[in-house]
Amino acid sequence: MATVESGILLERPMPYCPGCGHTVVNKQLDQVVRELGISPLDVIVVSDIGCCGLVDGVLGCHTVHGLHGRSTALAVGISLGLQNPSKKVIVVLGDGGATIGLQHILEAARQNVDMTVIVQDNMVYGMTGGQVSGLTPESLKQDRLPEEEQVPAFDLVQLAHTAGAVFSARVVVGAGVKEVLREAVETPGFSLVEIVEMCPSYGIRKVKELKEVMPYPEVVLRQTRPIRRVQFQQKASLLESITAIPVQFNHRLEQRLHVLIAGSAGEGIQSAGELLASAAMAAGLYSTKKGEYPITVGTGFSVAEVILSPTPIHYTGIETPDVAIVVSADGWNKIQSRLSASTRLIVDESLAVDKKQPMVRVDFRGAVGGRSAALAAIAFWLQQEEWFPLEALRLVSRNRKYAAALEAAIAKGQQLSPVG
Amino acid sequence: MKNKPERRGLIDGSRLIIESLARAGADVYVGYPITPSNWLYAYARQRFPLFLPAPDEITALQWAAGFSATGRFPVTATSFPGFALMLESVNMAYMMELPMVIILAQRMGPSTGSATTGAQGDVLLLRGAISGGYPLPVFCPSNLEDCWKLSAEAMRMALTVRTPVVLLTSKEMVMTHHSFDLSCLPAIRTLPRETFKGNGEYLPYAAAPAEAPPFLPVGNPHHQVRLNASTHDATGLIRKATPEALSNTRRLRDKIDHHIKEFTHLEYDPAPGASVLIVSYGISSEAAREAVQKLRTSGKAISLLIIKTLLPVPTAVFDILQKYPRVVIVEENLTGLLRELFFGQVSRPEIRGVNRIGALITPSEIVQEVESWQQ
Repeated sequence: MATVESGILLERPMPYCPGCGHTVVNKQLDQVVRELGISPLDVIVVSDIGCCGLVDGVLGCHTVHGLHGRSTALAVGISLGLQNPSKKVIVVLGDGGATIGLQHILEAARQNVDMTVIVQDNMVYGMTGGQVSGLTPESLKQDRLPEEEQVPAFDLVQLAHTAGAVFSARVVVGAGVKEVLREAVETPGFSLVEIVEMCPSYGIRKVKELKEVMPYPEVVLRQTRPIRRVQFQQKASLLESITAIPVQFNHRLEQRLHVLIAGSAGEGIQSAGELLASAAMAAGLYSTKKGEYPITVGTGFSVAEVILSPTPIHYTGIETPDVAIVVSADGWNKIQSRLSASTRLIVDESLAVDKKQPMVRVDFRGAVGGRSAALAAIAFWLQQEEWFPLEALRLVSRNRKYAAALEAAIAKGQQLSPVG
Repeated sequence: MKNKPERRGLIDGSRLIIESLARAGADVYVGYPITPSNWLYAYARQRFPLFLPAPDEITALQWAAGFSATGRFPVTATSFPGFALMLESVNMAYMMELPMVIILAQRMGPSTGSATTGAQGDVLLLRGAISGGYPLPVFCPSNLEDCWKLSAEAMRMALTVRTPVVLLTSKEMVMTHHSFDLSCLPAIRTLPRETFKGNGEYLPYAAAPAEAPPFLPVGNPHHQVRLNASTHDATGLIRKATPEALSNTRRLRDKIDHHIKEFTHLEYDPAPGASVLIVSYGISSEAAREAVQKLRTSGKAISLLIIKTLLPVPTAVFDILQKYPRVVIVEENLTGLLRELFFGQVSRPEIRGVNRIGALITPSEIVQEVESWQQ
């Protein structure tokens, strides 16, 4: 095996308490890098918050020191951004970081991102006073948090394996760590090594005791899965896919027209509004379409506010509608308070509308069904008021998905007669 | 000067924002879907060289920061609930000096509020987003042209000063369709990510005063790179309040304050003899423009200021504000956030607000406020 002269450890004193497991592990990681012949500048160590995160200062490779628990996610971005299997992205975090960032570990494992996560598990929060983490065994909680004595630690190695890690292992600090770390670093894809360590200040001080206390045994779990790779691909401009709408018709609007189209969510209200706005453009008008709807996509009201104007439009809201096209009770309930005495109403005949303003009732829903009622009603209204030729609406419908159904709704709407 | 034939289409702000950023060279979108930023997400899926759905917004910002550390330019979009989750990571990217653009499409709060109702409720959150009050640059488009120009401009600033930049918008800006002549859009050039070219030692945070340090990606084979979210000196190693580390931290403020003048975008439309200035930004700008038109048509001298570089507040804004004995600030929130940013919490008779929640502020409301004041 090729070795390199310089590993990743600088000749500096370790920043940890005497007897800390982190010192042992860092030296073994350094040996792994040397034995694998990896250049220090091919190694990126992403460190977490906590004692383990002090490692940066003794490393001669690239170092990134992030937030508590988030180092794994940060490393995912680095690994995918580099897209270079010769670069070794290694996360160093503690059991606290693994607890707060568990989702990030599971996600990186699920995606099988090419990286190694080293969890330096000394079973406690060593920097803040020895509090318990999600990896603290029950027996260590006896004098720290007895009310949680029955709550087990996470089996992080099994969790990572289940999520999809190709290499997932637990090992007690000592001579055996190096071999496990080497396999983890060598294995392409997501690997995780939980190293059970002593904490001379707040945790277990002796290796023998660690073995008695640790809740899950030493284990190595392997599986084969495709590695997550990404590709940067140039794609077509979003402006190219816009349907250009050249002016092909005349209009006879002299001032702005504010149109409300109201109905039920899932019944094509917004699409009908877009078609009206597009048709107006084909007739040389300026137009806007603003949508209003609840967060539910398929239930409740849906209102499209369409402005048609011979001059440029700034404000896209409608203060007073000139026309309201209403095709369901959901729509009526939503907009009825917004109408003025002069608002012209085009309503489906099924609606119980008790208003004094100008109103035309038509059986849109009966003629074309709920999903096409709004477009049929727009066709009917345009036929009545003749602001621009109905052909403009037909034209813009032709480029759409379900063009045949749209054209059928327009044709039907054009032919309908008012009720009563 | 317009030299291309007219090409009109029915488009929305989301499309222009994403296209603008992609043309400027942003190459990875990391997102978590949230209303009303959904269209930005959908367009980014179609347009960005790399699109990644993250499992949550904290992950989104962390992945984005990782990409930025390797020399990629990341973009994400969210609204308040997601931005709240991102906040610690935004601070991290700010401290590490990792450029990115975060599009914040505002919706009505508090909390999850109303997802499909627009709002302008987050400007003071952004003012205080970086612990310690450090300036986080915020650009705010007032119409479709701004969506195009300011998005690339946000990216340019992010690269120039190596920082996350927020593009602040609102539901109606990114989800309303407008007839629009695409031939009016100016070309956007690809922005280079400049890197350290020196032969000597590279210290990742060694920078000229009030400048960002030269960048090198992590993983490069020539120089060790250290990035650090904790207080650090020029080496990138953690330091506890040493003079050098404090100087580095001060530089985070200084570099943005120093450069904001180059990135100041305002629309100032003064009327001769006007004593009233209407101020607005973002989604309320168009109502303010229409109100000013109406007031002028009825013979009133009214000036208008639309602020597009929102934070840090450019000095040019205060220069303009000082010229007017009366100021009306129009914004879609209950308490007057921009008003508070400029004038504090003390009630002042010469400063009025037109505020509303739940719907766009109407031109009539602005007209009425100004007319009632003049009587």
